[in-house]
Amino acid sequence: MSWLRLTKEGLTEWLRKFEKTYRLYGPVWTGSYHEFKLLQDPEEIDWDYRNTRLSPKSLFLPPAEKMFIYSLDPNDPERAILKEASKDFDPRIIVGIRPCDAYALKLVDKNFITPQYQDPWWLNRRENTIFVGYGCTEPCSTCFCSSVGSGPFDTKGLDVLVVNVDGGFAISFVSERGKELLRKEPLGARALSESEERSLQDKMAEARAAMPKLWDEKAVANRPLLDIFNAPFWEEVQFSCINCGTCTFLCPTCWCFDIQDEVWKERGCRVRLWDSCMFPLFTLHASGHNPRSQKLQRVRQRFMHKLKYYVDKYGDGVACVGCGRCVQFCPVNIDIREVMRLMVSHCQCAL
Amino acid sequence: MTDWEPKIIALLCNWCSYGAADLAGVSRLKQPSNIRIVRVPCSGRVNPKFILASLRKGADGVWVSGCHPGDCHYIEGNYYARRKFVLLKKFLEYVGIEPERLHFSWISSAEATKFAKVAEEVVEAVKKVGPARYLVKREVEVE
Amino acid sequence: MYEYTEKIREIATRLLQDKMVDGVIGFRKGTIPMVNNPVLIKHSEQVSQLYWDSWCGVNLANYLPKFQGKVAVVAKGCDSRSIVVLMMENQISRDQLYIIGVPCKGMLDRRKIWDAVGDRGRDVTDVQERDGVLVVAGRGFSLELERDKYLQDNCAICTHRNPVLYDELVGEMVPEQQVDRYEDIRAIESLPSEKRWEYFQRLVESCIRCYACRNACPFCYCPQCFVDESKPQWVGKTIDPTDTMTFHLLRAFHLAGRCTDCGSCERACPMGIKVRMFTKKLEKDVKELYGYEAGVQLGERPPLDTYRPDDPQEFIK
Repeated sequence: MSWLRLTKEGLTEWLRKFEKTYRLYGPVWTGSYHEFKLLQDPEEIDWDYRNTRLSPKSLFLPPAEKMFIYSLDPNDPERAILKEASKDFDPRIIVGIRPCDAYALKLVDKNFITPQYQDPWWLNRRENTIFVGYGCTEPCSTCFCSSVGSGPFDTKGLDVLVVNVDGGFAISFVSERGKELLRKEPLGARALSESEERSLQDKMAEARAAMPKLWDEKAVANRPLLDIFNAPFWEEVQFSCINCGTCTFLCPTCWCFDIQDEVWKERGCRVRLWDSCMFPLFTLHASGHNPRSQKLQRVRQRFMHKLKYYVDKYGDGVACVGCGRCVQFCPVNIDIREVMRLMVSHCQCAL
Repeated sequence: MTDWEPKIIALLCNWCSYGAADLAGVSRLKQPSNIRIVRVPCSGRVNPKFILASLRKGADGVWVSGCHPGDCHYIEGNYYARRKFVLLKKFLEYVGIEPERLHFSWISSAEATKFAKVAEEVVEAVKKVGPARYLVKREVEVE
Repeated sequence: MYEYTEKIREIATRLLQDKMVDGVIGFRKGTIPMVNNPVLIKHSEQVSQLYWDSWCGVNLANYLPKFQGKVAVVAKGCDSRSIVVLMMENQISRDQLYIIGVPCKGMLDRRKIWDAVGDRGRDVTDVQERDGVLVVAGRGFSLELERDKYLQDNCAICTHRNPVLYDELVGEMVPEQQVDRYEDIRAIESLPSEKRWEYFQRLVESCIRCYACRNACPFCYCPQCFVDESKPQWVGKTIDPTDTMTFHLLRAFHLAGRCTDCGSCERACPMGIKVRMFTKKLEKDVKELYGYEAGVQLGERPPLDTYRPDDPQEFIK
């Protein structure tokens, strides 16, 4: 990776040049937490932020959005015909996204962009968004991205990577789209000096080493699914869960949604909104049967999905990026790292 | 604005207040036509969900009426209702819904003139605060 | 409050060894600072997991409705009142319970600690408490804070710190405070109605309808919550502002005369919404109109389950 060096003002000035052609999004303090907001000016970005409360997946899969609209007017010749709701898929640049969150979007791609079906809303937004990522020189105590296939400077989901250095930033253009940005608008930056390069590498190595190694990928992947499914430790894990849905709503890789029709007078629309496997209603069949009516089944399902089913299905690692939001905000402190430890220890025990 | 006529949803208990409304009609008493009546078996049947649902559907005012305390056809339904209404009215006012939108009364089946008079009062009160502004669910507001 | 830990363990060991209960519901130390993990201990060998400190804010009564078998539960003042209300509502019976009462000096609010630390870029990795002082530390910083300034909102105005119902206490009763519980409610009541509506709109505008508040509440145990009713649908499921407001209003109303102000709802909310601004108003009215406080008197009927012929009815025509 080749790095360039610039000041904060330099970076802000460069981003400003894109205001006319792209919508800029960045982390902004709302008074109690950070959120990715549409920026009026890139100086609104809070470069001291750790991470946003809600993950940036809400910019691709909003908490609620209209998919289709329809008329129910009996005089309308086009009544009851679903029409796509108009959307704004104009190009965007998301600045300051953490590598874990960007990688998470690639994991969710597996669900929305398949050979058989491509979700147009997700796909359009993904294709029209460029990511200027922000590396984590000081990972939080709740982060564990390097255990699950990502890392504090992982470039898998990013187009550009920015890292804090003394007196400013180091910036690297990692993908074609990132390099395209550089071609469009030149950057007032110089190459790093040798000592600066070494210092940067040291910093990055230090950050990577600071994170715990939690996961034994092979042990869990090789274990038969039913064996982990029937393990005795789920009883203990599920007790304190209150099935509140916080983990699923804050998680950057959770993608489950519900579809509801909302009608007012003669106008109707079909809305897609976030749903959660933690809700008892999630698996309720029209017949009244509910395969996951018990809390234990739902709690087990969530962890098995993230850490085993996804692994078995795609062979590409777990569906968790180690962002730590669920760890921080679970009201009863159910810690996915603890569950991982229990799973690994169960799998290793029998070897 | 002067053309606007409020829509009032009136939840009337079958045994007393609905009878009063019926008697008022039969006696040709002069009363406003803004009242849309929903007959319930007892004022105690009225669930706060109904009042919220009426406001959500765009009712400019909601009026619940039952038997006088002590005279409930089901003995004590209106006593429970009284506690619910008092708490709900104070709560909705606290949240910002104008007090003039919610009305409660005890009207027995013989009190046709009271019914007409209270109907008039309710409509006048709601006219003063204008069309419903808060808690009206129109087109869902999502992106 | 660390002495409580030893006492809780001692009681739990005794109960489990004598087979007086099938399990003990308590807390174990959290994996991160400022939060603890509710746990059900079934064997006396595991009793050493039990732990108590100022971060045990979650209401353990939430785990009681429809519990099968005999269970001991660690209960603070607010939790014990919740247990009384649950008993009156037939969700758990007295003979199933062994209540380990904890006289409580208030639980702490980690959001206030985050504010004090300047949370925009600082990660709290360790919190210690000694003699009313909190030492909050992270990478490159350490602060000393006065404990009493960082109480959860409901704890700061608590008037029932001692358990009202218990089988055994873990410590001496603490003095109750005399406070005005409804100062902030009266402040809202004095505003004109548009300002009040604006205030509440802003209060719930960040709600993501995760239902953490509902699920953390011991009294939200309906097999089918009104939110999930579809025939008819009383409230839409999206984050539409009218629907969100309807949810909070109706949920608060369903808690009228039941809420014991344990603060679990505010604690659970991932967005930090002060949902108690709804429930406290109903608590105030129930107290002023019917002289009733939830869960204080065992055997007292809940206020909406009873009546007096001379109940107030000032505005009823």
